[in-house]
Amino acid sequence: MSYHQARYDEPLLWEIEPPPEAPAAPEPIPGVPERLRRRHGVRWPELSELEVIRHFTRLSQMNFGIDTNAYPLGSCTMKYNPKVSELLARRPGAAEAHPGQPEATVQGSLEILWRLEQALGKITGFEEVSLQPAAGAHGEFAALLMIRAYLAERGELERRTEVLLPDTAHGTNPASAAMAGFTAREIRSKDGCVDPAALAAAVSDRTAAFMLTNPNTAGLFEPEIVEIARTVHGAGGLLYYDGANLNAILGVTSPGRMGFDVAHLNLHKTFATPHGGGGPGAGVLAAGPTLAPFLPVPRIVRRGRNFRLDYDRPRSIGKIKSGLGNFGLDLRALVFLLSHGESGIRRISRRAVLNSNYLGQRLGTRLPRPFRPLVKHEFLLSGAPLKARGLRTLDLAKRLLDEGIHAPTVYFPSLVEEALMIEMPETESRRELDLLVAAFERALGDTPEALRAAPQSLAVGRIDEVAAARHLLLSWKDLRERGAVLGMAGPTPEGATPGKT
Amino acid sequence: MGARVPRWIPSEPGEEEPLLAALGLNDVEELFRDVPEQVRMGRMGLGAPLEEIDVVRRIDRILSRNRTHSRYPAFLGGRVGLRYVPAAVDALLLRSEFYTSYTPYQPEASQGMLQSLFEFQSLWVELTGLDAANASLYDGATAAGEALLLCRRLKEGHRFLIPASLPWEEKSVLANYAAGLGIRIEEIPYDPASGLLDLAWIREAVGRGEVFGLLADLPNGFGGLDEGLPELKGILGGVPLVVAADPLALAVLEPPGAYGADIVVGEGQGFGTPPSFGGPLLGLFACRAEHLRLTPGRIVGATRDAAGRRAFTLTLQTREQHIRRSRATSNICTNQSLLALAFVAYASLVGPRGLERLAHRLSDRARLLAQALGRSPALRAPAFSAPFLWEFAVSVRAGSAREFLDRLAAARVLGGTPIGDPRPGRAGAEEALFLTAATEFTDRRAIRRYARAVGGEPPGDVAPEASRGGGP
Repeated sequence: MSYHQARYDEPLLWEIEPPPEAPAAPEPIPGVPERLRRRHGVRWPELSELEVIRHFTRLSQMNFGIDTNAYPLGSCTMKYNPKVSELLARRPGAAEAHPGQPEATVQGSLEILWRLEQALGKITGFEEVSLQPAAGAHGEFAALLMIRAYLAERGELERRTEVLLPDTAHGTNPASAAMAGFTAREIRSKDGCVDPAALAAAVSDRTAAFMLTNPNTAGLFEPEIVEIARTVHGAGGLLYYDGANLNAILGVTSPGRMGFDVAHLNLHKTFATPHGGGGPGAGVLAAGPTLAPFLPVPRIVRRGRNFRLDYDRPRSIGKIKSGLGNFGLDLRALVFLLSHGESGIRRISRRAVLNSNYLGQRLGTRLPRPFRPLVKHEFLLSGAPLKARGLRTLDLAKRLLDEGIHAPTVYFPSLVEEALMIEMPETESRRELDLLVAAFERALGDTPEALRAAPQSLAVGRIDEVAAARHLLLSWKDLRERGAVLGMAGPTPEGATPGKT
Repeated sequence: MGARVPRWIPSEPGEEEPLLAALGLNDVEELFRDVPEQVRMGRMGLGAPLEEIDVVRRIDRILSRNRTHSRYPAFLGGRVGLRYVPAAVDALLLRSEFYTSYTPYQPEASQGMLQSLFEFQSLWVELTGLDAANASLYDGATAAGEALLLCRRLKEGHRFLIPASLPWEEKSVLANYAAGLGIRIEEIPYDPASGLLDLAWIREAVGRGEVFGLLADLPNGFGGLDEGLPELKGILGGVPLVVAADPLALAVLEPPGAYGADIVVGEGQGFGTPPSFGGPLLGLFACRAEHLRLTPGRIVGATRDAAGRRAFTLTLQTREQHIRRSRATSNICTNQSLLALAFVAYASLVGPRGLERLAHRLSDRARLLAQALGRSPALRAPAFSAPFLWEFAVSVRAGSAREFLDRLAAARVLGGTPIGDPRPGRAGAEEALFLTAATEFTDRRAIRRYARAVGGEPPGDVAPEASRGGGP
């Protein structure tokens, strides 16, 4: 497939109509103390509605999205975002509700959240669910705070300062552990999985928790999960489930069944809420009996047909975010769950894993595949052979963009040289998988020069990220003061007039 | 196989067989042979799949139980606002190239979102008077939490000062963000008459040492504007100052960077997105250039492509969790990019003069509201003497504010949001307080209904609203 993205030399908003350097001060608001009043108006352009619409519509055309491009992004689960969810999240009853309204006036919102909590409880095998975290990493952080509170209650917090994790863990895991005041300690994997002997040697009375993703970021189901749970619990530690890869095991197993104590899920992965160019997401906390009392407040409680907010949870960690979570995303996730039902949810994991194994087999003939071939929702390839041609995985990734296909996750996990991590979720058809294989084959068959020159068919060519970090230009203010270092007077070096080229 | 599934999963006959055949399998279940029998699960009990029309009807039926501001006059504010979202903003948010896109780690494929985020960062820099902004955090409360963590990186010490009037949710979020640090958060008392910060207390507290940061909010948790804010940096000296500011307020108030704020955070939902029962929201974060490398979150920078064309990319990524892991400045990955796009699109559609007009319109209505409620024998409104913009605290003369607002809701008025901590035994002196807000939907009729419901005089005899035009 040949792909051509729109290419506009789209000006920045303030280049459309440069605002005055020092706009007139706003008319004073009665009662506002003089020393708090703005001395100049906000320096921002005054544009017509059509100008603003054209600006952002053109920008949108210079952006990949699931509706236009396949995203084989490992661990990101870029599945189709159903349109009906967008419709329903915008219903006045959903969008207009304010989090500070009396309970009696938001029974509908509370019921949406309660129903989603119930369904996610069944999927995770945990009784109690909180939707408060804004994202996956936020859920990790909250769960670790719950573990802190649990350890503090038992008088073990001083001693249990270590959070263990495999070297395949997502970067958010060690970062969350550090943020919650723990020391993160990585355990070396064996054949892509947790080495039970290494884990047994690492646990001690200093272990607060072990954080695990299963299937892991190599796409492998951790076959020793029962043994792992026994080892961690035997040492007095808790077992944390990173739900980023839950898509692979829906209706097959659950964190509860596997012996975990607490889990976070990502609604923007497994439950198809849109990623929005990096966010919003929605995190979920699900906990078993040991940690459930520490979940954030409030909890939603059902009494007959009615729902109320329960703040009387003395062991709760309190709040980790304002409001009850990202309701707009929660509603979309409930729509997704109701549409699938039991049978549909079970189909998701089967089809996602089928897609991944099929692609793994097809692409595994082109590049080396580390570890065993039976994978779950994603698999790894190594771009190491490209080096013989003077190329890197990055060049292949950029060349795939020219095929209209988003690059896979690259250079992660770090235990595979020049790694490519590939996931094509259940919403991708057989035809799309074959298009991806064909695109890979064309890219790999291309000349080294062509790969290094990629991408050629997008709004811009290969971007100089080193220059971006060396000369930090992070706002209009920076462009005004220092834009000259990169010749940033206008969108093109010649300062050509904006317009489609 | 066989059971009905949504068309979102390709399931037509002939779809899966070739995939299975290529793998030499008869049954997809064989792909799960590595999952031990011991951990297998049975039925989840999720019910049968629903057709789209049935899902729509079910969700609509559930939502019909809500009583929101289009049905009851509503005076709901705080960090989350009832604000009109221009149709043009939502039309842009529905561009699926934006809302279905992933984080722009592949910049060449993501120029649209990256340029939008660069423009968003630029706007927050203009509003705050600081040097640099990130591409968003989860919400205002977590942005304050991240600001606390940045202060700790900038300055040694174990005491962080916050207003006692700060919304209880934010206090709780801050306590959680600080939990791993082993530090103490201390509350600055407020003057009982004005509700404003006790500067003498701050001076004394800073003098005792070990303070590594102070957060003040604008307006404060009671809706008040603190004239003392510009004096804080003089008191703090080298101690970092964080200001948590309402972005609309910054369209008419002096940028906190001008009086020495080191970090400005805020809740940006009011610019272009509906309250959505409290989420998704938008965490705003700006800081000084010299602190950039210690800040949390993604940052977009301008650069060139291979042909010399201007381009945008994520930069300073070595601060972030996917590179730095346990030594990252924050664990944040997913942020609120789409709401950042809404923020800058909203401000550009309304324009700076439109923002000023909106600020005037809301504050005019708030003064009208204060006059009307002030005549109610059941209330002291406003509860404090400090100047305010479009929100102010009200005190109920008997009982708790929460119960009062519940009764008011039964009379079909959403009169405000309680200020006290709802956890048992924690509300303290704030139990009688609630915050009431004039919104874009607050017309004279709504104020009249509110006044009648609380036994006050309808505002028939107050001066007619200044006509500033530009209504939504």
